[in-house]
Amino acid sequence: MATYAEMREVFEDIKADIRYDHELNGCLNCGICTATCPSAHFYDYSPREIVQLLWTENVEQIYDAMQEKIWACAQCMTCAARCPFKNSPGGLVAIMREVAIKHGFQSAKDVLRPFGRVMLKLITTGNQLSPDMIQPDHFPDWGPNIQKVKGNLKTLRKAIPVRTLQTTDTAWEVSLKTSVEMYTIWEMTGVLESLETMDENLFDVIQDFIDEKREEYEELMEDASAQD
Amino acid sequence: MSAEQFPSDGSGIAGHGAFFQPTNLSPEDAAKATAWVEKHVDRRTLDLSERMDDVRDHMWQLEKEGEIIVHRISDAHRPVDVQTLFGWNKKIPTAQLWHHKSCGQCGNIPGYPTALLWTMNKLGMVPGRDYLDETDQTSCTAWNYHGSGIGNLESLAAVFLRNFHQAYVSGKNHGHDTGHFYPLVHCGTSYGNYKEVRKYLIESPQLREKVKKILGKLGRLVDGKLVIPEEIVHYSEWVHVMRKRIASELQTIDVSKVRVTVHTACHYYKMVHEDAIYDPSVLGGNRTAVGTSVAEALGAQVIDYSTWYDCCGFGFRHIISEREFTRSFTIDRKIKIAREEANADVMLGIDTGCITTMDKNQWIGKAHDKNYSVPIMADIQFAALACGADPFKIVQLQWHASPCEEVVEKMGISWDESKRNFEAYLKEVEAGRIEYLYNPELAISR
Repeated sequence: MATYAEMREVFEDIKADIRYDHELNGCLNCGICTATCPSAHFYDYSPREIVQLLWTENVEQIYDAMQEKIWACAQCMTCAARCPFKNSPGGLVAIMREVAIKHGFQSAKDVLRPFGRVMLKLITTGNQLSPDMIQPDHFPDWGPNIQKVKGNLKTLRKAIPVRTLQTTDTAWEVSLKTSVEMYTIWEMTGVLESLETMDENLFDVIQDFIDEKREEYEELMEDASAQD
Repeated sequence: MSAEQFPSDGSGIAGHGAFFQPTNLSPEDAAKATAWVEKHVDRRTLDLSERMDDVRDHMWQLEKEGEIIVHRISDAHRPVDVQTLFGWNKKIPTAQLWHHKSCGQCGNIPGYPTALLWTMNKLGMVPGRDYLDETDQTSCTAWNYHGSGIGNLESLAAVFLRNFHQAYVSGKNHGHDTGHFYPLVHCGTSYGNYKEVRKYLIESPQLREKVKKILGKLGRLVDGKLVIPEEIVHYSEWVHVMRKRIASELQTIDVSKVRVTVHTACHYYKMVHEDAIYDPSVLGGNRTAVGTSVAEALGAQVIDYSTWYDCCGFGFRHIISEREFTRSFTIDRKIKIAREEANADVMLGIDTGCITTMDKNQWIGKAHDKNYSVPIMADIQFAALACGADPFKIVQLQWHASPCEEVVEKMGISWDESKRNFEAYLKEVEAGRIEYLYNPELAISR
């Protein structure tokens, strides 16, 4: 159980985000946000409640909502479009999620575990989704018509009349230089650090991948300068 | 105050949850608190446009002060003016476009970008001059951010600036000037995310300072400055301004009997909503115009439906790891309504996640006797079909799970024959005889 001081620290981190003041301007409990929220149909989740907790600076309840409720939000931002105060409950939830990760909440680890495959793909390739991830075995609930022409995935992708899309393990062909630049962004913005907090094993796998790609790029550069 | 409003069991003020407690403030303190609330309440207005800043004004000011370089939409980009929510002007470039791809489209709905490139070719646009599709780009990374919370404003801003800097300089490799190609964003979430990030970059010197270090390290500053685009432009906005040319110059198939419903992506018009296109001639300006306008221009019957404003249920993380939410919402609030209320022949989307969600989550409805189905595709796929594009080779409908064959047949195109032709073409592909929409060498970034 967190102490009040710890919960206060979590709240102060939320408030310190530069988006906070833009996304929280007031609240009269009108509930338009909740009325229009897709997640409120299915979860014990209300964007109005999130806004009220932040507006009233109720640090204990904020901490509590960060354990589960914030992960229900679908991030569609319908709430933000409708709020008469120009609040963005969805935007506030995004900040709260970042802070939950920064503080290594176990609940965040639990929620994100099944999402690991996607994070691995994104951090290493810059693409979120690849054709080889969307196979019938992975999505039995998508039914038998997931691919209406049977055949080898590589051939089917080669039949797309655009060079950049003829890939199977990334959504499009990303140049090595691009990926290496992206790794620098991840490092300099603390994204890899967040990942390490969430899942050390996944972090190790990703770090090895990044090291390998960087070596590959350096070799390419050396070869290129040798040719010059 | 009545006793009911302050229950003794600590459950808070009735109807507002346990965290609501009486303040017990003195009248003076209560007045102070009320004044403070009123000050904030005053920021609310029904006519937001009068009080809302146009972030582009600040952007021009920053450029004047030497802080940033604005990637301009010049006459060479052949811009068309449109109006956004509050009647503000927005320039949509129609030529010299840098295709900023969508990971969900390219990975899952490849007919989306191919239909777009095919349409551009048909309109006489020359690859390498009028558009460029290259390998030097990452996704916006916002799908992951909205799904997992891994990432932050700084990383999103750095990715935005890196990709848009590449767009700015990409012309040089092809014998053009800097700024020749202007970014055309394919994904709705990228579009919404980039607009939001651009706003914060313009408003926050601290954020600019932080990302400048990163962009400097990557060698992606111009004269030591960040490059920020004049407008963030979504592909559906290009389709919107080109719709009359598409219909008058390219259309070969009558779609007047096709009943169309439109689902516009939340991140297109609910994020930085003041920048979405509204046109009085499209549904009276009561809906954002994109998607609907091209269907109307092609002569299809656009059918309105009660849940048009609802999200599709994608949820970013939900579609991967809380799928029961995604499929329930999309069946109940989208597919069922489009089928029962609008009797739609097709639902058109303008974004990656929505099309994936609505397309893939129909079959599972059978488990609960919710046996509804509607073909799902993008506006540009529908337009390409109406203009005679091959349903398999170009529109790539073989990747769609929803019954697209039904609407293809209704348009008078033989699904079976097209499929047989495509299966024969696969043999050619295996033998290395591949047809391309542009010279593949153009894709390689040097």
